[in-house]
Formats: sequence, structure tokens, C-alpha cells
Amino acid sequence: MFHCEVIDNSKEKITIEKAQKFIESQKCGASLYFLGTVRDHNNDKTVTGITYDAHDALVKKSFKEIYEDAINKLKLEHPAAFVEHAKGYVPLGGISVIIAVACKHRAQVYEFSRFIIEEIKKKTPIWKKEHYQGEETTWLEGKPIDIKKA
Amino acid sequence: MKIKLELFGVCREFSEQDYLDFNFESDIKIKDLRKEVEGFVNKNFPENKNFLEMVKKSAFSSQANEIVDDDFKLDKNQTISIIPPIGGG
Repeated sequence: MFHCEVIDNSKEKITIEKAQKFIESQKCGASLYFLGTVRDHNNDKTVTGITYDAHDALVKKSFKEIYEDAINKLKLEHPAAFVEHAKGYVPLGGISVIIAVACKHRAQVYEFSRFIIEEIKKKTPIWKKEHYQGEETTWLEGKPIDIKKA
Repeated sequence: MKIKLELFGVCREFSEQDYLDFNFESDIKIKDLRKEVEGFVNKNFPENKNFLEMVKKSAFSSQANEIVDDDFKLDKNQTISIIPPIGGG
């Protein structure tokens, strides 16, 4: 069971409740919620918010591939995952990403959740522009996509 | 042949629009498009070496939303996306 979406933060917000409703199942004995949030500092600067940019179609494709990779590599039992990433401006403390997973046993959900976020960092076309005090902004330096693995 | 290049991430700084338009006389490959974008950046942002570096490190995505390599052929009007180094999450 899998759900993924890119959420335009100017129109709606990522919520835990929606994720909870999606992954709950009597077949699963464990569930885990990972939230990425905007923190107030980076590189010795005071951060006031982050604008996320995303190639929506590629992002959703990437999320689906990551989910399928996780199932194959981690041999998950009764997996469910709910992945949403924000795009647009997210203020300090706001949720940028949610990864909610459920499996039969507890050890699997930790592996599952960690696998998804680490793969997102490597493979998913999302970009961050940090906003600092005094209206300065910077696009954060990212990592080139590995074309052979894409 | 017209190629509409959709801009993402730091490459959005290249234009006030979300895209750049390029015209070519004949079929090209992604590596030729990359050279055109590098030329655009050199002409319009000569002081900004980071922009040029980002183009060199960028991947490109086809109209079918596939990441394509430098030898991918472009032989008709289409939309291509530039995918600069990523960093979400």
C-alpha cells in the first residue's frame, strides 16, 4: 500500500492525521512517523524559512521507485508507506516531508523509514532555497543526480 | 526545432519565467543543449561561475519524465527539464 504526493504549501499542509488514516492496518504491529521540519539555523546563519522547488512528475516517480526498491531490498511484510513532500514556502518549524510507514514487525519500520529518507536525499528532484534574516536567500548546494542509477 | 527548457532549483534564477526557449536548425543531442545553456549563462551571467558549474553538473529530463544522458537525441519540438544538483528532504 503506497501513497505519495507533492503538496503545494500555499494551498494545503502536510498532516500526520492523513498519514495515520492511510497506513493503519490490523495486519501491522508497528508504525513509524518521520517528519522533516524547517530548523532555525544552517551554516551559521539564522534561517526564517525554506522555499522548496520540485519537479512534481519526477518526484512522484522517484518516490514510487524508492518504495518498490525498499520492498525488494528489505523483504518487508505487509508494508504500507505514505510519503508527502512540501513545495513552496515553508516557515520555521513547518513540515517539509512526512514518511509514515507500517509493517508487521518493529525492526522493519525503522529500516523502511530510514531507507526512504536516505534515498530521497540521493534521488528525488527537490531543491531548497533558504531564507535568512534580512531577506537574504540562497539555493542550497545539492548533489548531482547519478544518471546511471536514475 | 524549438526546445522549451523548464527551469528548476537554482536554474530558476536564469529567467523571470519558468523556462528558456532555444531554437536549433537541426537535430541535436542533450550535450548540445547543455552547451547552449552554458552559452546563455556565460552571456547573461558572466560573473556568476556558480551558475555555469550548476549547468555542468545538471541532469536533464525528457518530456516523458525520464532522466536522459548526454547522447539522448532531440529531433522534434519538445519540452526538456534541467535538473540541477538535488537536495530535498
